[in-house]
Amino acid sequence: MKDALLRAEGVSVMLGGTPVLRGVTLAARRGEIVGLTGPNGSGKSTLLRALAGLQKPYEGGIWLGGEALGSTAPSARARQIAFMPQSAERHPFTVLETVLMGRYPHLGRFELEGRRDRDIALEVMRRAGVEEFAGRQIDTLSGGERQRVLLARALAQQADVLLLDEPTAALDLKHRLLVMDAVREEAAARDVAVIAAMHDLSLAGRYCDRLLLMDAGRIISAGAPDEVLTPENLRAAFGVETVIEPDSVTGRPQVTLLGASGISGTAVGQAGGEGPRRMGEGVRVHVICGAGSGRDLMHQLVSAGYTVTSCVLGQGDTDRETAERLKVEFVPSPPFSAVSDVEHTLHLKLVEAADFVVLCDMAVGRNNLPNLHAAAGARRLLIVDGRPFSELDYTGGDAALAFEPLVHQGRRVARPDVLRTLARGSG
Amino acid sequence: MLRFSARGRADNRLSPVFRAIRRSKAGFASPVVRKLVAGTAVLVAGICALAVMAAAVGPYNIPFSHTLAGLLGALGMGQGATARSEQAIIETIRLPRIVLALGVGAALATAGASMQGLFRNPMADPGIIGVSAGGALGAVLAIATGAAAAMSLALPGMAFAGAAGALLLVYLIAAAGGRFSIAALLLSGVAVSAFLGAIVSAIVIFTNSQQAQREMVFWLAGGLDSTGWEDVRIALPLIGAGVVVMIVFARDLNLLLVSEEDARALGVRVGLVRNVLLVCAALVTGTAVAFSGTIAFVGLVVPHALRLVVGADNRVLLPLSALGGALFLLAADTVARTAASPAEVRVGIITALAGAPLFALLLIRHKARAGAL
Repeated sequence: MKDALLRAEGVSVMLGGTPVLRGVTLAARRGEIVGLTGPNGSGKSTLLRALAGLQKPYEGGIWLGGEALGSTAPSARARQIAFMPQSAERHPFTVLETVLMGRYPHLGRFELEGRRDRDIALEVMRRAGVEEFAGRQIDTLSGGERQRVLLARALAQQADVLLLDEPTAALDLKHRLLVMDAVREEAAARDVAVIAAMHDLSLAGRYCDRLLLMDAGRIISAGAPDEVLTPENLRAAFGVETVIEPDSVTGRPQVTLLGASGISGTAVGQAGGEGPRRMGEGVRVHVICGAGSGRDLMHQLVSAGYTVTSCVLGQGDTDRETAERLKVEFVPSPPFSAVSDVEHTLHLKLVEAADFVVLCDMAVGRNNLPNLHAAAGARRLLIVDGRPFSELDYTGGDAALAFEPLVHQGRRVARPDVLRTLARGSG
Repeated sequence: MLRFSARGRADNRLSPVFRAIRRSKAGFASPVVRKLVAGTAVLVAGICALAVMAAAVGPYNIPFSHTLAGLLGALGMGQGATARSEQAIIETIRLPRIVLALGVGAALATAGASMQGLFRNPMADPGIIGVSAGGALGAVLAIATGAAAAMSLALPGMAFAGAAGALLLVYLIAAAGGRFSIAALLLSGVAVSAFLGAIVSAIVIFTNSQQAQREMVFWLAGGLDSTGWEDVRIALPLIGAGVVVMIVFARDLNLLLVSEEDARALGVRVGLVRNVLLVCAALVTGTAVAFSGTIAFVGLVVPHALRLVVGADNRVLLPLSALGGALFLLAADTVARTAASPAEVRVGIITALAGAPLFALLLIRHKARAGAL
């Protein structure tokens, strides 16, 4: 393992009398991308500013190579550390002039940019995708374009350490990838240590070698992306419920947001405080579905705080995969097999326990016919008014026979109205 | 082909500096150099032509050939003008006034450009940090107390002291609330200027002597009349030093214009540069005010007009502002001297009368760009 190029130990920063960083320790090595993530106000930007030498810590120290950052001359520091601020200011310079400013630290007081500086500027502008704007004034660019100009300026500094404060915040999807590719290329090709504050967790998981999760001025988790991006960590830091799985193509952790947790984690000043009471708290809803007909509904119900259960679901069923991810209780059965008596009995227990049963517009065949029968045991039944039942019946009429009495017992509701009906019914 | 050869000739003529720069960058001429050379050539030619004209015209018109000979004579070349009286008019009356006009114009325009960059505000002028108001107070006091009548350098001396005092006051107020910021400096400058301006008005109104009152109003309108070589000898070194130092820090000013944070990240000692620029701007503006009264609009209109032509890079803009300001004020002063000859219009009136419509015209024609420096 290579030695750390930039090292912070026990760094604490006060802003206006409020502690913003509390004893942060980290190290960045050459060639690696370290991601900083955490909720608003967790101290990411302040940490980056401290590492860039723009904010003096009142406690702790920062070392660049072997030298204390505080004792480095500003111009020497600017040759070694490039800082890309979060917001791109408006000013009257052209794009090329702005990017060339990244070369200033390398020039003597009376020296002007030469051909080499210009070549470097054009090269980094190409990589940041702004070369076509070279002669345009910054004032005439969009926010995302200005942000890419800032990246180009930081790259033009050709520093050993690249500090990026949410480099993709204002960018569209394509340019997020383009910019992060350019950053990774820089880290690899020039052996630069990169520390980047990132809001997009999936992007952070995809590009960063290591992640630091911050909350309330501290690093609460550090390690490889799949170690840091866990539902528990994200609940603690952001107060959100998530599902995290390896991306099917890249294998990097992919974060899917389910919703906000009821109680917001460890934020300062409201630790342990009650969050707002959520719609579905303490209400059990049983969803009878199959083949993807209940996927979206289960997700919405879980997000709204309902306790959700589901029917007998065979292995390989898309609704079953969703139920597993959402940690929804259901009765498992082998693939493509008929519901057994034992499974049906277990299913009936879930139906009886539920305050509401929602019957989705699923296709019914011989195998899952008992799921439809079980709906008869519902205390209150909602039937999703989707496709006509005649299209869903693959049993030659038996299912229609079972469906008929349910229509009288339950209430037909259009799919978008299910949550509203539930909310009114349980209120 | 024609362009190419013309370029080659320019190279030879402007050697060795230009050639050395080109050589050192392997045939690459930075746009900064190109704009500086072209701009300097145009403005210096304009200044030379205008200076000859200014030396020739006046209540007593001197033929151009005599003027040229007289100017060369004043520089120690040739025999001077044909008539001794002509030589005396050129050397002791018109030339010092021309030189001071050039110096004051350069001072005001360079200080204006610097302040617009430092405050990141297109409306900033050299007087924004209270220097003009302070200088006015000093001058008015010198007249009111009779010191100006008693001693020839009392008025510029007290005006300069007033300018320096005002800067100090503005700075202390801005720094008093704890963290120092450019925005606080701007507000403090506005407050101090308004306060001192009120005192000046009060003094003018409550002065009993009609003669003194007239002098005050005259001084406040700005003018370069009765300039002698003594004034030039004092004013020019101060202005020259201040302007050169501001130009030296032009690159840092570029970064400050982007943002203070960016400047710091790119290695600028922000506090140091800010103080140097403030002191230099105050020095040159204070000197200008002391010897010529308050002259409006030069610091505003000249940098703005140049910015539209050469762009925002202060490494080009500051030197060219110095030349452009010199040219503009010399033109204004020549008009002031000759428009109602033998009477004189105050030069501050001319700069405002010409500068304000010009400024408005620039604003209308380049609305999109003029708004943002």
